[in-house]
Amino acid sequence: MHFTRLISRSVSLRLAVSLCLAVSFCLAVFCLPASANEQQDQQIEFFERKIRPVLVQHCYECHSGDSDVIQGGLRLDHPDAMVRGGDNGAAVMPGEPEKSLLLAAIRYEEMEMPPDGKLSEAVAQDFEKWIALGAADPRANDSLPQSNPASDIDWDQARAFWSFQEPIKHQPPSAKATDWAAGKIDAFVLHRLESAGIAPNAAADRQTLIRRVTFDLTGLPPTPRDVERFLSDDSPTSYQRLIERLLSDPRRAERWSRMWLDVVRYAEDQAHIVGGNDSLTYPNAYRYRDWVISALAGDMPFDQFIKLQLAADLIVPDDQDAHLALGLLGLGPKYYRRNDPTVMADEWEDRIDTVSRGLIGLTVACARCHDHKFDPIPTSDYYALAGVFAGTEMFNRPINDTVEKQTGKKKKGEAKKPQDAVHIVREGKPTDIAIQIRGDATNKGPLVERTFLTVLSKQPIPLSNGSGRGDLANAIADRKNPLTARVIVNRIWMQLMGAPLVATPSNFGKFGSRPTHPQLLDDLSVRFMENDWSLKWLQREIVLSSTYRQSSDIDPAKAAIDPENTLRWRMNRRRLSAEGYRDALLAVAGRMETSIGGVSIEPDTKDSRRRTLYSKISRLGLNPLLARFDFPDPNAHSAKRHETTTPLQKLFLLNSPFLIAQSTALSDRIPITSQSHQSAIQTAYQTLYARQPTRQEITLGENYLLDGSQQAWPQYLQALLISNEMFMID
Amino acid sequence: MTHDQPQRRDFFRTAGAGFGTVGLLGAMSAQQSLGSDGKTPATNGLHHPARAKRVIFLFMNGAPSHVDTFDPKPALAKHEGKAPDQELFNANRAAGYMPSPFKFAAHGESGMEMSELFPRLSQHADDLCNIRSMHTDVPNHEPGLLLMQSGNQQPIRPSMGSWLSYGLGSENENLPSFVALAPGQPVVGPQLWSNAFLPGQHQGVEVDTNHRDIEKLIANIRHPSMNRSTQRRQLDLIQTLNKKHLADRPGEAALETHIRAMEMAFKMQSEASEAFDLKNESQATRESYGDSEFGRSCLLARRLLERGVRVVQCFYVKKGSKQPWDTHKNNNSGHQTLCADSDRATAALLTDLKQRGMLEDTLVIWGGEFGRTPYAQIDKSKDLKKAGRDHHNTGFSMLLAGGGVRGGLTYGATDEFGMHAIDKRVHVHDLHATVLHLMGIDHKRLTFRYSGRDYRLTDVHGRVVSDLFA
Repeated sequence: MHFTRLISRSVSLRLAVSLCLAVSFCLAVFCLPASANEQQDQQIEFFERKIRPVLVQHCYECHSGDSDVIQGGLRLDHPDAMVRGGDNGAAVMPGEPEKSLLLAAIRYEEMEMPPDGKLSEAVAQDFEKWIALGAADPRANDSLPQSNPASDIDWDQARAFWSFQEPIKHQPPSAKATDWAAGKIDAFVLHRLESAGIAPNAAADRQTLIRRVTFDLTGLPPTPRDVERFLSDDSPTSYQRLIERLLSDPRRAERWSRMWLDVVRYAEDQAHIVGGNDSLTYPNAYRYRDWVISALAGDMPFDQFIKLQLAADLIVPDDQDAHLALGLLGLGPKYYRRNDPTVMADEWEDRIDTVSRGLIGLTVACARCHDHKFDPIPTSDYYALAGVFAGTEMFNRPINDTVEKQTGKKKKGEAKKPQDAVHIVREGKPTDIAIQIRGDATNKGPLVERTFLTVLSKQPIPLSNGSGRGDLANAIADRKNPLTARVIVNRIWMQLMGAPLVATPSNFGKFGSRPTHPQLLDDLSVRFMENDWSLKWLQREIVLSSTYRQSSDIDPAKAAIDPENTLRWRMNRRRLSAEGYRDALLAVAGRMETSIGGVSIEPDTKDSRRRTLYSKISRLGLNPLLARFDFPDPNAHSAKRHETTTPLQKLFLLNSPFLIAQSTALSDRIPITSQSHQSAIQTAYQTLYARQPTRQEITLGENYLLDGSQQAWPQYLQALLISNEMFMID
Repeated sequence: MTHDQPQRRDFFRTAGAGFGTVGLLGAMSAQQSLGSDGKTPATNGLHHPARAKRVIFLFMNGAPSHVDTFDPKPALAKHEGKAPDQELFNANRAAGYMPSPFKFAAHGESGMEMSELFPRLSQHADDLCNIRSMHTDVPNHEPGLLLMQSGNQQPIRPSMGSWLSYGLGSENENLPSFVALAPGQPVVGPQLWSNAFLPGQHQGVEVDTNHRDIEKLIANIRHPSMNRSTQRRQLDLIQTLNKKHLADRPGEAALETHIRAMEMAFKMQSEASEAFDLKNESQATRESYGDSEFGRSCLLARRLLERGVRVVQCFYVKKGSKQPWDTHKNNNSGHQTLCADSDRATAALLTDLKQRGMLEDTLVIWGGEFGRTPYAQIDKSKDLKKAGRDHHNTGFSMLLAGGGVRGGLTYGATDEFGMHAIDKRVHVHDLHATVLHLMGIDHKRLTFRYSGRDYRLTDVHGRVVSDLFA
């Protein structure tokens, strides 16, 4: 054993020795002749006086059924548990103090318990005597609440949980307001609203609607011309035609790619760097990002989209371009001291966490150290998946044939420099791995065969072809998988409607939230799959709904009944994300560069003009602009973004060279003369807010410009750019 | 139907609103408004009465040597050159035991033994609590740094400062609650003050103390050209627009938060400018701290703590030197230079805090990610004069002062060579639990639900070392 591990705390906490002792201590205590009953009573009294108080005072905090976490898996609140012991075996062997680890621990011999101070030798002698006499223990009569090992899970019952049942289509109940529902989504929503006695809001006005849906589908504001065209089109299908135009806009793929990159914790480097060594960085990560953009632009079926990202090398071995999809795995974090078993185990956890929370909304990584506390995911299921990633290698594939390649045995075929590589994965040595007890890589339990999560199919799904990655991809993208479609439908819904149907988008387990509209979610998920897993179809279905088109006004009477808008009686008013806001600034200032894809940029320099999607994403030091505006930490999957409002954000708006550059550019774009204040102000409002200013707003602007200074106009425009209306979507 | 507990959801909403002052206090009062008893005045919404209100962590990047500073080991002289008879982490570069050339003496009424490398700090011996039995899990910088700062070896957890900010918020709405002063980029970098999955306002605000100009110290603290009165006029316009926008959207609470944040940002410009400007300190004070990067960091830290910043991290790094204390070579001369600088600034900080009556509720922590080997590390030249000391995780020292810790206490011990902590061992998790406890927080109850479970700084570990309390 490694020296440092030998004395590391995690190991010293454990009571060692193996679990092989069928102990018949009960016999020793209870099968005594009648005359021995007195003796037993004395021993019990001894336990009550000398042993129990010590256990309660010094041990129960970490080693009883009431502990937050039962340390080392050892409980000392029941004799059976003491004999069964912890991770590595018995703590007490009745009659054999010298073999009882509890005693050794109290004496600070093999380990030191309790950790906050050695107990006196007198106490140790009490324990020695008690064990020698057979460890009489009246707690034997207490019932020992069982933990929940895999074998104890009632799988039929477990599979009855809502999210493990395959979704089915539903017929929405009929509603009173017969003319409101535009489609099936609305029928479900309306039924719930009517049951609660709430009428849906009126539709948003057309100016609000075009601004809302343009931002939602493309991540950009509508141009004044777009607005004018829509407002002057009074044909009944004008909204449908607007939607079709936006759905086929190449900007749509850019906007939705970013949602996906949050899910897969996309980044271009590692959280650590040693010296100037960049060998673990991903300078060509952007090629994966661009693959995502192009897949979404082509409306690749979502099941195929997932499959390629997990196993393109196995599905389309000859299509080198498609292998870029493997960045989902290939751009995962590589931790310091790679190849150390503990560190590799941490990397597997990243892959499992990203894939399980990201694609199927389950927190499988919780089962790394112990069976999942809430969901039917035993530790064996975790290591069954970990085996897939243990048999998969990170692969810096040479970008072309001319670059210098590695020659060593282990990295054969890889590009020597990361700059010359695309960062994907390839098959390693197929392997089943052993359970790591309590997540400790040095403490191995039984080997587990690679299979998919037990709860998700009645018959085990083997993940045994090669690494098992291809099998895993199929199991996740299978129409029978009850989670995959629901999870992505919920994510898209969240983006468009401002709040998800399942409030915990990456946790569809027991500890997660239940859907607010279960039938709606299920019905939409099934229809999504029937429509060839088309994200475009899904987006269309949602934005065409009357639910989506409602105004965002807050009606106090409705708010009194449903303050959270859980029932969807209005549209949620939303704030633009970091990307949405920065892109909008560039767009209205007329500075946005429109080329798609390519190497990454720093988003906060005053001359950067590409969309925020193209920002360099660093695990080491996230760009401060992104970090300040709630961009998620790319070291791990992000289920949804926080929304914070801080003075530091406002300092960026007030003073940053980037904002000043946009204000200046905007003032160049909308020229002003002393005679034209009013029309310039009108143009600004149309450009920024997609509406005409009111008389009062014009006066406000004119008054501001009265001082006649040259700077007043760009300063005024900056005020419009950073006031709330700019980044709030009604 | 939702499965979240209502008070937790309320907490998220409050915390999400973004003003430092809520945190745990906000959570507690939200809970109380749901019907439990009124607030206990003694604890003011905390888990228990706090002994410290703020923390400053003086962090010696690269790891100082315990046997040359705060843990005297005469046995090293007796056994000089003798190879340790145990398996070593990096045996191929290890030489025999290397005695410290620095003299140790007892200081203060407590008689705390410290080396001559800290002539000024030793005058504060009776205020210091010297933990000699620290230990951590691995002798590598990256995992060691992350464990010390965030309780986890991989970079996916919030730092201690972020947890404290999340739990306690700031006492000054015009300043951030957590500031990381780093005159250069330490190894690992911004992950050391990362909020990870906690909301963004709990991230440490990074300040490069190589700079002296306010504009460079804090990004965007001033407009490059507009004067204050012009900017006030612009701000009045913005707020008029915002208020009108809000009036058209009654009931939308988030909009008011934006209006408030904008007003605060304007105030912060002057408040932070004042706080970060060392020219406001007397010449004598500036000289007492020393005009080094670390000295300036310490002085700046005091100004921030004084103004209600909750946590300040001072990283001992320099431009182009990510871990100056990593003395693999020339350990002795290296420590002479480094300790002289650190001694001066740390002692000045303690004096200053004491004079201002702040030491009693300010917890000062001094230390690195681990210690250094009691045996020598030599290179190919085998020149012992240039010998260094290697990374060492199984026993090292850290200092605490103020904030309710017992002054003059030397706690725990390593073995006779300083190899392993053997008596009253204190793990990094225990240190974290103890720091939180001093701040009025039960480390087991400060949690954040993420990824299907409740996370905490100490994960499933940590015990409060109450022996250290005054």
